[in-house]
Amino acid sequence: MKYRITHSTLYHYSQPVGLCQNEARLQPRNFWRQHCHTSYFDITPEPIDFQERLDYFGNRVTYFAVQKPHTKLNVTAISEVTIFPKQNVLELFNQIAWESVRNILQGLPLQGLSQSQSQQSQVLWQNQDYAQELFDAKQFLLDSPMVKVTPELAEYARISFQPNRPLVDVVHDLMARIYNDFTYDPTFTTIATPLSDVLNFRRGVCQDFAHLAIGCLRAYGIAARYISGYVETLPEPGKQRLTGADASHAWFSVYIPNSGWLDFDPTNNTIPLDQHITLAWGRDFSDVTPLKGIAFGGGQHVLSVSVDVLRIE
Amino acid sequence: MRNNKSSADDIGAQYYATQLGIYDEMYAKENKALPYWERFMAALNSMGSEKLELRRREAQRLLRENGVTYNVYGDSQNLTRPWRLDPVPLLISSEEWLVIEAGLKQRADLLDLILKDIYGKQNLLKKGLLPAELVFGHEGFLHPCVGALQNQKRHLTIYSANLARGPNGLMWVLDDRTQAPSGSGYALENRTVMARVLPDIYRETQVHRLSGFFKSLHKGLVDIAPNNKEDPRIVIMTPGPLNETYFEHAYLAAYLGYTLVQGGDLTVRDGRVWLKSLAGLQAVDVILRRVDDSFCDPLEFRSESKLGVAGLLEVVRRGNVAIANPFGSSVLENPALLAFLPRLARHYLNEDLKLPSIATWWCGQRREREFVLQNIDSLVIKPINRSIGNQGVFGGALSVKEKDDLRSQILAKPHLFIGQERVSFSTLPAFIDHQIEPRNAVLRNFLVASGDDYEVMPGGLTRVARQKDNFVVSNQAGGISKDTWVLAPEPDKPVSLWTQPKRNQLIDAVTEPLTSRAADNLFWVGRHLERTEAVTRLLRTVLVKYRVANESKDSIDTECLRVLLRTFTQVTGTYPGFITCEEELLNSPVPELLSLVKDVYRRGSLTANIQAFFQAAFSIRDLWSQDTWRSVDNIQRRWQQRVIGNEINTDQLPNHLDDLITGIVAFTGLTSESMTREAAWLMMDSGRRLERALALIALMRSTLALRHEDVLQNQVLEAVLVSTDSLTIYQRRYRSYIQLPLVLELLLLDETHPRSVAYQLHELSIHIAALPRVKVNSQLSEEERLILKAYTDLRLCNVFELTQTGEEEGIYADFEKLLYDTTALLWKLSESIANAYFSHSQTSQLIAHKSTEDEL
Repeated sequence: MKYRITHSTLYHYSQPVGLCQNEARLQPRNFWRQHCHTSYFDITPEPIDFQERLDYFGNRVTYFAVQKPHTKLNVTAISEVTIFPKQNVLELFNQIAWESVRNILQGLPLQGLSQSQSQQSQVLWQNQDYAQELFDAKQFLLDSPMVKVTPELAEYARISFQPNRPLVDVVHDLMARIYNDFTYDPTFTTIATPLSDVLNFRRGVCQDFAHLAIGCLRAYGIAARYISGYVETLPEPGKQRLTGADASHAWFSVYIPNSGWLDFDPTNNTIPLDQHITLAWGRDFSDVTPLKGIAFGGGQHVLSVSVDVLRIE
Repeated sequence: MRNNKSSADDIGAQYYATQLGIYDEMYAKENKALPYWERFMAALNSMGSEKLELRRREAQRLLRENGVTYNVYGDSQNLTRPWRLDPVPLLISSEEWLVIEAGLKQRADLLDLILKDIYGKQNLLKKGLLPAELVFGHEGFLHPCVGALQNQKRHLTIYSANLARGPNGLMWVLDDRTQAPSGSGYALENRTVMARVLPDIYRETQVHRLSGFFKSLHKGLVDIAPNNKEDPRIVIMTPGPLNETYFEHAYLAAYLGYTLVQGGDLTVRDGRVWLKSLAGLQAVDVILRRVDDSFCDPLEFRSESKLGVAGLLEVVRRGNVAIANPFGSSVLENPALLAFLPRLARHYLNEDLKLPSIATWWCGQRREREFVLQNIDSLVIKPINRSIGNQGVFGGALSVKEKDDLRSQILAKPHLFIGQERVSFSTLPAFIDHQIEPRNAVLRNFLVASGDDYEVMPGGLTRVARQKDNFVVSNQAGGISKDTWVLAPEPDKPVSLWTQPKRNQLIDAVTEPLTSRAADNLFWVGRHLERTEAVTRLLRTVLVKYRVANESKDSIDTECLRVLLRTFTQVTGTYPGFITCEEELLNSPVPELLSLVKDVYRRGSLTANIQAFFQAAFSIRDLWSQDTWRSVDNIQRRWQQRVIGNEINTDQLPNHLDDLITGIVAFTGLTSESMTREAAWLMMDSGRRLERALALIALMRSTLALRHEDVLQNQVLEAVLVSTDSLTIYQRRYRSYIQLPLVLELLLLDETHPRSVAYQLHELSIHIAALPRVKVNSQLSEEERLILKAYTDLRLCNVFELTQTGEEEGIYADFEKLLYDTTALLWKLSESIANAYFSHSQTSQLIAHKSTEDEL
């Protein structure tokens, strides 16, 4: 499946901004499920200073500075991406119990595995790539700026974490529960709404649901990360597709030893396949904010965003 | 105050010996004092406790006058706390120093390697030599900094460690300071003061000098400059005057000749960092930062920080600025690291640690966690992340419930906690309440990377607790500092910070650029000072008239007093005051007047003005000479002691006001005799001239612009002349004829009279023309235009025409209009100067999605 994504952000300021520095994570990264063919920015006024690099998590990040006075700033990123519709092949470990995953991540001996499985895992331990993969996963085990594990989160998740239950089942169950228990309500939360409020009032948006699931998983020693991206929305039957009416989206991913990272979308209660386009991942939203900047001057600002996800093949 | 016990040997070694508990610095484990201590104590003893107390007070006076303070956060009323210095130093023998020095160097080497790995390849983590949770769970680990270290021989440029001696006589490292270590400036100031108050003893004891360390510090900072290696621009970045060690930031800036900057003074453009100076943008090569790393760049770290510079980390990445210490170096302040240092020392250096750390168990490991939980009663439990109010708790001091809570906290997130051995530090003689008593001591050492090696300051900052048997030794907790004397086998040669130019080398005189923030503060120092003076002079006049009116009961005196009271309200801008008030207030004005003197929270009050002057001056502490600062301190302190701290009445007040005027004159005299006529002077004097003109005009508008009957008019004219210190000159010029046009001639138009409006505008025109600016063609700048108009309008007027008026009118309309227009122009001028020169004041804002409304 091939898509063209156009993501525009327009800032209007009540007073001129003399200087602004910005950081954008608006270019889709490449990984086994996705290939980004082209991706470029169209920024007005044109930034004097523009620099691309990869961040700590391997995401594409762009630094740019606009150094002349302006009252409007338009940042548009246009990308073409192919999605390969396959999920992880969960041959050996897809039935691995969540306790075993927790122990592996803690570096403890595995329990409840047959002799041969255990030997196989020993072999894996010595594998360089696997060691690197495990090490990377550990970054996503601990509290992060926007997701702090609390007893309340652990309590909410407890029902899903039945003893010896395969981790994949646990996450499926957790995702479905969040989907059923929580109301999608864009008027309820802002970026600053703490997770405890989301949990108490059972309301939120995609970002909150992703954070919630991540917190629940980390409470039980499971590595989980936050994915920022887009989802293709199809018009209702008989209606015309509206350009720019799409939006950015967020979901989460869980680490399963030897299989890698498996994505889950709690807002839609689905496993992302070929309609989810990944921009970047990190410990939580704060690591992958699509666009942020520091502006000098400007007075009040109004911001409008339009996203268009167009299937081209 | 005489101490009863005062006798010749009450501070000697023998008396002291009876007070001892555990290991003491003077006695070690012997029954006899160590020889170098014995010599020192004999010298003290021959001085006697009374004389020593005098020396101690002398030291406190010097420190106070030099403005050595330690601020306590959250204590806005008592913002600056005087720095306390005990006259008994810590003595360290040259043999022992070699051991300490080698241990500290080894530790700095090791920490530097760990830092390089954590922000580089992370091999320690991948190989399991350092647990990942230990690093990732620490707030000092800033992932945007991974890969941002530049090509330097050493990354940890500055390092500091707190040492204490355990009961076994060995020195232990308590903790490491790696991101922005403080204290070296205090150590230097302590030494300067000690050399002055105990000159004989200091001279006779061969003590290593400290200045060499600062020379190395400078060299170390020059070494890491990525550009302009010949003569890099180095700045010290401070969070500002509210920071607890602000004195030291200003002190080091002045001592090393660097510009002291706040985040707002810097800007990132074209991938470089620039200093916003009065003369335009100046490239910065090295930043010695005293701002915590996560506050340094709102774009990549904490977005709410107002202390940093947006885009700074990106400049670091591109190798265009060096930061000492690099961002993220606070990851080394994680106390859990102490448990792993011995292993890492063997891994990297193939050595054992020369200085042991205090025994530490990290709860992220199962066996260690179990040990800590089992021995919670005898351990100090600390979170690995330093947070305000949680410095660690002693398990044994907790209630059963508190202990259970702590246990469950540890079990929930074990990697965030450590257990540490509770150490009783050695004691050290301290002069407390006229006696020498043992106090627990902590020594802070300082190192700087110098080429391939580290150099250790031969000395340091020793601190003792105020109370006996108290192991919490910190400045926040009100500790006392000590000088640290490292004994030299032979006398040290003095090291000068000055470098000798090569023969015949011409050196450009380059004054460090004045930051726009400093310019702003200078401007306001001038304005607040002048306002204080104007209010003081007017108040004196009011008080005289009040006394006269009370004595004479003459209706003209009473009427004149009322004019002056209303004027006082208008000049201070403290409406409604005496303008629209009950008859009662005009009849007994004293409470309102005293409020306008004392009330610090009342805008326009004398105390509020003095406070504002002091704050502005303190914000640019690094720019004042010692003498000038002493005069600033005098103004504020005397006012505080005599007026604020006392019940005062209107009889005593004139004396205090005279004293205040003397203080102000001392400051203006010192500044005009010692400041070069460069940007700093121009800014401060422009502030003064502008304010003096405004105050004069305000005074005239509510006195001279109003028509009074002749008898009253004479009194008002005289009061105005007195209040502007112009009566004598008027009398000499015009003898006893007192007339409005002549008074105006003197106060409005006489360019030779430093208290006339014309004089202020003339000076302002000259200053404004001399300020640096970017010239656009031959056009006048906005400031030049405004002052030219104000000055020309004034010169074109005629005092006799101004005072013509119809019989019926209550005011001199033309005169009032002139005053009104001039005021408006001067206000515009003030704004225009701010726009043109104080660019740091522009506020920044985070622009990002405020809500997720537009997301799925």
